[in-house]
Amino acid sequence: MTAICWLGTALLLFVIGALLSLLLNRNEGLAIKLSGVFSLLGGVAGVLCALPVLLSGATVTAEYAGPFAAFAHLTLRLDLLAAFMVLVISILTVVCAIYSFAYLEEYRGKGAWAMGFFMNLFIASMVALVAVDNAFYFIVLFEAMSLSSYFLVISEQDDEAVSAGLLYFLIAHAGSVLIMLAFFLMYRHAGSLDFAAFRAADMPVGEASAVFLLAFFGFGAKAGMLPLHGWLPRAHPAAPSHASAMMSGVMVKIGVFGIIKVGIDLLGATEAWWGMVVLAFGAVSSVLGVLYALAEHDIKRLLAYHTVENIGIILMGVGAGMIGMATHHPLLALLGLLGGLYHLINHALFKGLLFLGAGAVIYRTHTKNMEIMGGLGKLMPRTAMAFLIGCMAISALPPLNGFVSEWFTYQSLFTMSKEGGDIGLQLAGPIAIVMLAITGALAAMCFVKVYGICFCGAPRSEQVERATEVPASMTIAMWLLALLCIVLGVGAAQVAPLITQIAAELSGQTATSMATAATVFPGDVTQTSLNTPLLFIMLLALPLLPLLLFSFTGKNNRLNFIQRGTPWACGYGYEQRMSLTAGSFAQPLKVLFAPLYRMRKTLDPAPAFHRSLDVTTDAAARVEPVWDDRIVMPVVGGVQRLSRVVQLIQYGDFRVYCLYVVAALVVLLLVTMA
Amino acid sequence: MMTQSSFVVTLLAGLLQAVLLMAVSPLFSGVSRVIRAKMHSRQGPGVLQEYRDIFKLLTRQEVAPSCSGNIYRVMPFVLIGTMLAVGATLPLVSQAAPIAAGADLITVVYMFAIFRFFFSLAGLDSGSTFAGIGASRELTLGILVEPILMLSLLVVALIVGSTNIGNISSSFAAEHWNAPTATAMALIACAFAVFIEMGKIPFDVAEAEQELQEGPLAEYSGSGLALVKWGLSLKQVVVAGLFLAIFVPFGKAADIGLVSIVVGTVAFLLKLLLIFVIASVIENTLARGRFLLTGRVTWLGFGIAVLAFVFYLTGL
Repeated sequence: MTAICWLGTALLLFVIGALLSLLLNRNEGLAIKLSGVFSLLGGVAGVLCALPVLLSGATVTAEYAGPFAAFAHLTLRLDLLAAFMVLVISILTVVCAIYSFAYLEEYRGKGAWAMGFFMNLFIASMVALVAVDNAFYFIVLFEAMSLSSYFLVISEQDDEAVSAGLLYFLIAHAGSVLIMLAFFLMYRHAGSLDFAAFRAADMPVGEASAVFLLAFFGFGAKAGMLPLHGWLPRAHPAAPSHASAMMSGVMVKIGVFGIIKVGIDLLGATEAWWGMVVLAFGAVSSVLGVLYALAEHDIKRLLAYHTVENIGIILMGVGAGMIGMATHHPLLALLGLLGGLYHLINHALFKGLLFLGAGAVIYRTHTKNMEIMGGLGKLMPRTAMAFLIGCMAISALPPLNGFVSEWFTYQSLFTMSKEGGDIGLQLAGPIAIVMLAITGALAAMCFVKVYGICFCGAPRSEQVERATEVPASMTIAMWLLALLCIVLGVGAAQVAPLITQIAAELSGQTATSMATAATVFPGDVTQTSLNTPLLFIMLLALPLLPLLLFSFTGKNNRLNFIQRGTPWACGYGYEQRMSLTAGSFAQPLKVLFAPLYRMRKTLDPAPAFHRSLDVTTDAAARVEPVWDDRIVMPVVGGVQRLSRVVQLIQYGDFRVYCLYVVAALVVLLLVTMA
Repeated sequence: MMTQSSFVVTLLAGLLQAVLLMAVSPLFSGVSRVIRAKMHSRQGPGVLQEYRDIFKLLTRQEVAPSCSGNIYRVMPFVLIGTMLAVGATLPLVSQAAPIAAGADLITVVYMFAIFRFFFSLAGLDSGSTFAGIGASRELTLGILVEPILMLSLLVVALIVGSTNIGNISSSFAAEHWNAPTATAMALIACAFAVFIEMGKIPFDVAEAEQELQEGPLAEYSGSGLALVKWGLSLKQVVVAGLFLAIFVPFGKAADIGLVSIVVGTVAFLLKLLLIFVIASVIENTLARGRFLLTGRVTWLGFGIAVLAFVFYLTGL
């Protein structure tokens, strides 16, 4: 089967899954199973669609007339970037489908069938979105994606979820308006809604810049980059965890995909300052995103802020790549895009894993509040292990996948600092590197907090004490992602060339070699290199040395390790409440970075959105009486006055009416005589 | 590219170097203790006291709080393992890095992050209040140090044109001091960061149980404590070694002859001794600062690193 066939199969399976789930609203158990099975199969078909394209490196296109042939042909184009996105979406779909079998039992009687319906539609619209090559279909699918995810956000149906959903809806649509404007500007030049025509159109620089900025902010709102991130920390926690994993792992990447699509694919990244804008927004998003994450106590909100951070890191890579394209520096373009795209798939994997892990914890403890968790490492060991791998990956600890992609991003920024033509680039590179370094250190602190507070020590509440390991389908799903995190880190030398191909296609050049059998390097092996398998083996093997030491010294007279008693508390009786909380853990940072935390209140657009909503309703309330006063009331008044005049001649006495008849006859006679 | 056998040889050389670091690290902690005692006008312990402490503790039973978990148990091994991995890659004795594919500035900085990650996590895992606060402070300090370390190392990397420590080391050893002022400033900034990473006053007191660096250890005892203490000594030596590998190339073996390796090793140990003496003297002349004000002090280090970068841009 060809890639396009597999794509069609995948979409068909998702739609069937959605419809079956809708039809089976009376039988939720079956709805959960069938929608899960179909999205699982659809995901597998998606992987089968993407892999041949990625491995062969050949773009596949197809064109159908479609129902709107008058102005928009249904053009499909699976280039390497689209295939890569299909792969990312499909992998997470498979995992989330496996997870949902057990997880959705929690939502039985709370509309699990509707979740199955919207989830499948959501996935289908994303898969189709990345493959279409026409602005009209792109917008329609983009809206379908936003709408179906909106219904997933409000699935809890409480006040918080509905309000979060409304905010999400508003920001998502503000974004789509900007995107539509961008496409409209390009349509005016190209005369067609096909992306192929957009690519060929030769736009003047000013207009191209306007298109780029519109698309950047439009897609940036969907990606959750600062300062358009307000919806993200509210919408992700409200959605069910497997939907959060899809939204955070994949949907926000559609925003990044859009920026790459318009900025690089359609417009060709001709201006260096576009890349600078992307880089700057990325750097600020990454630092502030993680800083705000540290202040959170709600585990899912915290993870949502980390999405803001990681989108920032991805955008830093993409920005460096765009600068490289504009300044005709092929190596910089390749390295930047490689770092960005590598981090894109990595973030999908580890953030998906972390959201699924958080979902598993919530499934058993029924709370999102980290302050009352603790000790889950012993109660849910398999979940804890997988979650720990996710924490290490997102903290960019070698040799896991998060580190490899950040390493490439560092290398691209280093190349930019070293070989950037003008002083602006030479300055921007180191600033971005320092910000990335701060982000790394903050992320490590944040995930020590998450893992340490939730999984380490002793339980802080009774409901957490009773937690047990989650069902197998959920642990299998998490472990699949955890293994992928390790594979994409240790197997960097096998993965990097594939992503380099994509970067090369995007930047319109031939790929430079970035890897040998085991090591990856930034274009030139003599410059520097990274051997992740070796690091992996060393990190596994070298702890054996102290272990040997430990087992050979004093083994005859040393008593065995025991666990007994409570921690030391200065001689007082230890109480569980004495152990550190999530809030006190991050306290030093709140003091050290106080100005940045204050800035959040002014930067967050959510209050502004609410204010503008208030202003709009106020204005509407004021406009409404105006409408009444000026048009409706005068008409009503006139009618009333008229009727009062008419009343004057109505007495209710039939003799007067007879007189009127006679008078009328006389008048008529006079008229005819005249 | 190197052949299979030479790869194995360099790998073994790197591991040998790591084991050497581990073997000598308690000695250097001992030197610090002796210097401190002398500056306090105390009799103090002998240079070998650390070895005695560690070996005595290794024979003792380990008792952990009942709420502690797996992370608490594996932390000492991860700690030593990570530092051995870093120690194996750095070009300490020779000009070229023994394991070139690991001796990248960014990789090394993130390897230190593994150390910090597990060290702090174990503090939280013990359930102790003091260990938890120690963990929080350890990580906060890491956030303050990382930008200084990264920027100062970046300046050196930009001067040489590579982020590989082996390349930087050979380039500095060969002759190129293209931007002497920038290099000197980067050296000062990096020394500042290394000083903090070694766990010294005014940022830390490595011996005090409730302080940052040993805070997460509040609950460790017996053989576990012995390994963690060893790991901390090893980290001090490795951090100092990173500084030496980059900025002080004198005396390093240029080839792989037996004589030059021996000379290189001796030179390295002498340089290390010098670093520890200087660090101890500075430490004991300073007063302990308030933790929440640390941020103001580290701005100084960051400022120096920025100056180094500015000097690099102007080509000085």
